[in-house]
Amino acid sequence: MDLAIDREIFGLLGPNGSGKTTTVKMLTTLLAPTEGDATICGYSVTKNPLAVREQISYVPQDMAVDPKLTGRENVVFFAKVYGVPHPREAADEALAMLDLAPRADDLVRTYSGGMRRRLELAQALVHDPEVLFLDEPTIGLDVAGRRRIWEHIIALKNRGMTVFVTTHYMDEADRACDRVGIIDRGRVVATDTPAALKATVCRDIISIQTDGTFPGELPEGVTPLGRTGDELRFEADKGEEAGLALSGALTKAGMTVRSISVRQPTLDDVFLALVGEPEEAEGFDARRFRRMLRRRG
Amino acid sequence: MKRMFYYMERDFRRWIRGRVNVVSTLILPAAWLIFVGLALPIRFTDNYLDFIAPGILVLTMLGASLQGGGLLMFDKILGYLPKFLAMPAPRESILFGKILFITLRGLIQTTVILVIAILLGAHFLDPVLLLAIYTVLFVFGLLLSSLMTTVALKLEDHDSYSAINAMVSMPLFFTSSALMPYEEMPGWLAALARLNPVSYAIDAIRDLQAGVFPAVTLLGLLVGAVLILLVSVAVFRRATV
Repeated sequence: MDLAIDREIFGLLGPNGSGKTTTVKMLTTLLAPTEGDATICGYSVTKNPLAVREQISYVPQDMAVDPKLTGRENVVFFAKVYGVPHPREAADEALAMLDLAPRADDLVRTYSGGMRRRLELAQALVHDPEVLFLDEPTIGLDVAGRRRIWEHIIALKNRGMTVFVTTHYMDEADRACDRVGIIDRGRVVATDTPAALKATVCRDIISIQTDGTFPGELPEGVTPLGRTGDELRFEADKGEEAGLALSGALTKAGMTVRSISVRQPTLDDVFLALVGEPEEAEGFDARRFRRMLRRRG
Repeated sequence: MKRMFYYMERDFRRWIRGRVNVVSTLILPAAWLIFVGLALPIRFTDNYLDFIAPGILVLTMLGASLQGGGLLMFDKILGYLPKFLAMPAPRESILFGKILFITLRGLIQTTVILVIAILLGAHFLDPVLLLAIYTVLFVFGLLLSSLMTTVALKLEDHDSYSAINAMVSMPLFFTSSALMPYEEMPGWLAALARLNPVSYAIDAIRDLQAGVFPAVTLLGLLVGAVLILLVSVAVFRRATV
């Protein structure tokens, strides 16, 4: 793995067991790498872990906020342990930023999953880190909750923070990440912007429902892919424009175009092309599963 | 150093809001005091309550420490610990915070037991004696809570921690000088009891009751506590999750 990440949202994608969490743990100094090194803000994670911890915040997968404390107590506690100069003010600011101020004095036990996630972000932001590590930040949240988390993450990037996030929700990574890396069995198999990655897999696919056969010339840059019954399929770089041109050409040739659909490749396609559909990479971890159940209970 | 108090404060807040376990840990030692201390027909002394009370005080501290180690296990299972370890605060402040909380909570619980013992007729009312007893219990709590917190850090899950806990607690108590003096024990038990750190704490309190300063036993406890603390700090600094 060889990466440089600077003031952007970087998404690490990969199947279960591919090494996403392990990567994050090494970068956050929780695990020592067996070989190699990484520097964060100029500090080596192996030689100067303490300086690295000054610069980062880490939010692990398992929503770990104290249900017996209030939201404010949770954040003030983190501010104090981080050694923030004015812990109460810093906590108020972080709570307000994540829209938790109105519920700050309620016990976390009464919070919803989305609120707990935001509270975790508030804890992580209270010391204004340079780099934020988020391990599966939207796992287990509903659609609105996920969108909200991503809005906050994007706002953080716009304030100049570097965000390193792991996820296996491809659509979310596509929308929010500036660059993504795809990891498989501990190796990064691709890194680029989502758009560039999608372009490497296939072009846009245009399907047209029509009747008759097409005698004329195809517009430039459009390749026919085949025909199933009444459906003609083509491939082009810019699917929407090519679709319009195609429909014009077909109509001119005297055919009736009943419907057009354009499908653009998604990160899912990239992912499946690069990683395939692997069988479970490692044995089913019964202990971890039980722990998960216990947490739900 | 200030940070260990923040960790301790967190645990105290959680404990006080727990309610049930505030009382539950007191039941066992109180039962020993009443059902054994008052009821057992003993020939070697005419005030068995005075004899057994130091043992019960130490038992209370022992129980508090063994149960307290489990706190770190929960922090680990529930995902708090990875966050703490990724923070720039010195990692040993997590350990010190736990030790302080467990030991102070243990002292609060022993105070309740002490009050019950005094109400039942044990002789503990001298303030200097009380202060000395608290010191002994504090050092003993330091030793055991540091040990158990580090054991919890190293173990995989809560099941193995409870297994260790169950394996350690009763044997430690029964092979100590809590229930009878060394002279009344069979030889093999006396040999075990003289090695047991629990006996050190109990003997120190009995010496204090008798008006003797327990220099040797207290020193033994202190040395043990310092050694275990040093090892624990080293383990915490290198902790991975």
